[in-house]
Amino acid sequence: MSTEAKKVMVIGGGIAGLSAARELSLNGIQVELVEKADFLGGHAIQYACKATDNCQQCGACTVESVLKDVVLDPGIRVHLASEVIKISGSPRFKVQLGRVAVSDNDDTSKICQEGYEKNPVQCAAVKGFSKHNAIYRTADGRLNPDICQTADKLEVDAIIWATGFVPFDPDQKSTYRYSELANVVSGLDLERAKRASGSVLRPSDGKPPRDIAFIQCVGSRDERLGHLWCSQVCCPYALRSAMALKHRNPDANITVFYMDIQNTGNNFTGFYQQCRNDLNFIRTIPIDMYETDDDRIRTRYMSETDGKPVDAEFDLVVLSVGIMPGNDNKALADLLQTRLTPDGFAASTDKLHLTATDQKGVFLAGTVQGPKTIADSIAHAGHAAGEVIRYLRRAS
Amino acid sequence: MSQPNTTDMQKIETASNVLVLGGGLAGICTAEAIAAQGYPVLLVEPGEAVGLKAESRPLNSYSQSEKDTLNKLVEQVRSSENIEILEKTTLSCATGVAGDYRVWLSGQKPLSEKQVGAIVVASELIRNPLNAAYGLEIGGPVITQTDLEHALASETKKFTGKTVAFVVGFGQSGNPLVMERVLRSALELAQIEGTTVYVYVNDLKVAAEELERLYLKARDNGVLFFKLSQAPVIETQENGISITYSDPVILRDISAQADFLVIEEAMEADSANAHLACLLRLDLGSEGFMQTDNVHRYPVSTNREGIFVVGGSRQVKALDQACMDAENAALQVRRLLGDGTRLAPANKAVLDIGKCTFCLTCYRCCPHGAIYWSTENKPVISLIACQGCGICASECPMDAIQIGEFSDKAIHDQVQKSMANTGKAPNIVAFCCQNSAQEAAQMAADFGIALPEGLHLIQVPCAGKIDLDYILNAFVQGADGVLVMACHPRNCKSEHGNTYARWRVNDAQNRLSKAGLDKARLSFVTLASNMGSEFARIVTEFETWLRDL
Repeated sequence: MSTEAKKVMVIGGGIAGLSAARELSLNGIQVELVEKADFLGGHAIQYACKATDNCQQCGACTVESVLKDVVLDPGIRVHLASEVIKISGSPRFKVQLGRVAVSDNDDTSKICQEGYEKNPVQCAAVKGFSKHNAIYRTADGRLNPDICQTADKLEVDAIIWATGFVPFDPDQKSTYRYSELANVVSGLDLERAKRASGSVLRPSDGKPPRDIAFIQCVGSRDERLGHLWCSQVCCPYALRSAMALKHRNPDANITVFYMDIQNTGNNFTGFYQQCRNDLNFIRTIPIDMYETDDDRIRTRYMSETDGKPVDAEFDLVVLSVGIMPGNDNKALADLLQTRLTPDGFAASTDKLHLTATDQKGVFLAGTVQGPKTIADSIAHAGHAAGEVIRYLRRAS
Repeated sequence: MSQPNTTDMQKIETASNVLVLGGGLAGICTAEAIAAQGYPVLLVEPGEAVGLKAESRPLNSYSQSEKDTLNKLVEQVRSSENIEILEKTTLSCATGVAGDYRVWLSGQKPLSEKQVGAIVVASELIRNPLNAAYGLEIGGPVITQTDLEHALASETKKFTGKTVAFVVGFGQSGNPLVMERVLRSALELAQIEGTTVYVYVNDLKVAAEELERLYLKARDNGVLFFKLSQAPVIETQENGISITYSDPVILRDISAQADFLVIEEAMEADSANAHLACLLRLDLGSEGFMQTDNVHRYPVSTNREGIFVVGGSRQVKALDQACMDAENAALQVRRLLGDGTRLAPANKAVLDIGKCTFCLTCYRCCPHGAIYWSTENKPVISLIACQGCGICASECPMDAIQIGEFSDKAIHDQVQKSMANTGKAPNIVAFCCQNSAQEAAQMAADFGIALPEGLHLIQVPCAGKIDLDYILNAFVQGADGVLVMACHPRNCKSEHGNTYARWRVNDAQNRLSKAGLDKARLSFVTLASNMGSEFARIVTEFETWLRDL
């Protein structure tokens, strides 16, 4: 096949980038995988398993598995803590890579605020260090440039843009007092904590929480913020996390505040029935959070039955933060000479070609193009790989 | 990929053509994508004709240029030399394995047998009006979503000055595709002169691209949305419809009148899937889809190598998702069929025909349908279709099957060796599925979490490979405790490996009890690959318990 001498750059080493890289490599195409962070796996490698007695199809473990395949694949060259700073030429793109300074203390999530030194196990989880990422490290835990920073110039025949999303910054909704109140955490904090320690404990005192609230649509479907999209993943992750918590601790009293519950997969009807049995659902979104004298979080909402205000107290409040366009999207769109949507995600040409862009040889994979679940990101990445192969065949 | 020495590899020829079942848009996209990879396609459509008509998803969400693209695609498929189209034709029977399926097709032409290397199922979704959920008959002012879409395409005047009410989400959970149809129609109606549009909705299913915007646009164009938790009470009257609902804002019952009531439709799996799954030996998933609820099947795989599912065969998603699936299926086909030959390790699963009593156990228990009966009436394990899980090997009553590097002898030796130099700590043998517990164990080790001193990990390809003998032998060899560590139910790459493992543990526990041992010395645990800290907790707790005995 004529594609075999071809080379493709994948920008972004999250689930979409990994999946696309792997598909291309399996089809005999050499891949240059460029990742800005100092580990592969993106956000999804930080998610925890949400199984109860049964797998709940969150897909977190599939990320681990694709990551392993990529790390072991000699056809994929990985560039970590690296970013694209210049692209020129077409159809053969000349790419210049720059290095990104990585600090072990740059992660501001609540789990990692102690810093890597003090809390190596938990921070390792946050950094996605499984045995698979460890290959890029020296014995003392530092990035090994001889393995993962071996080039600063690349020449490639096509590019897949797969830089993913950023989670909504809950501080933008200041009344939740996310930074201020230890026991108000984001959905991602919850995932990381669970991945690290295997259980969910209150940040303030390290005790297991009994009364837990999930607040949906934090940053998504928000007209005031101009975020006119559903992030698609928050209902699934919140409900699955809540059910996993309830399974671990049947005494837990879990409340989900929501606008509209979105589906979680083909088995949604049965799953949601179980959720309804085990969790409290309240169709309103509380706004203000207060700390009580006994270290709980108090909030207030309007009762659905009589319209009167209700005060409720929780040990832990989880903000189900949504999917926002990446901070680098604008810069990358300029480098790649392609467009963004009005929302700031990468624009595809039309609905039938969700991976194609206006720029020849540049394709999209995963949440850079808009919110997606892990399953949908994998499918989108496969589609992108397929389109790249078609493109390379046409070009040769 | 690291493979054993090439002398151990067996070359297998594969058929190069591919059967695509279903000539709706998902099937058309798939046929085109596979043909573009250079493989001849046989496109089979049970209905009158392949094309947009066979498509179950409404096209009103696509722009004219997108529709033109679709029409062009249909034409391209129709005129492609690499695609043979058989209409009014169905699959009657299928045998064989990946690379070499035999299928019998019946239809306009007499029953014909074909050999194909791979099969892609591209069922379409079906629409099902849910009037019964509201106790209503279709007719007069009560119309279905499909009726409305037809009317909007041809006779919009019918709605001028009228009030139209939609009900959605009370007869079903619904999904974004259902919601998109409602939102598009509601918006279209709102733009007709003098109409009033009400949408009574349970959860707004907006988890798809652009749907929140569409909802806001409909609202801004005057569509009135009532988000209710209970279905409204609907009565048909002489001059229209009366709708009574409990208003969630003002907290009292309100009645409204409408000229038309649009009944929601389910978009669901074709009931024909069940029969097709049976013919193809596929495990059905939730709601009649042809993919089990198993994350290892992402995106288009099934329990059988060489059979893929796209579009409405696997989930309710819009057409763009079907295009995505099509491209993924084409990639998988290429990976499977390559240039017509495949290399597979010859020792992947080796059957000692001398020991075989032709009891059919292996044939029945193989979750991948990888075992078939040869013309000499002997079982054959397909090296392409076999996933090496070893369920057959441990179920075989004659121990006639050995799996690559995981032979019975190799595992016994490993257990024995691990017991050779033990210290004072309790000896724990943990049989770990390589897809989950083994990974979790490694993760725990890499995170620097302390693990019990006397813990011995025995890697197996799948928990289904853990023979009763392995467990009992571990105790004989001196284990104080044995852990059988499998994937969570519904997460097994071989679908049922964990179930077999649990059964065997139950069996072994009974035997331990009879032998006077505490059966809790044997424990069955399920884990995922990313549960490093849980792994450590489980083995540590087990060790503590053994110490306290």
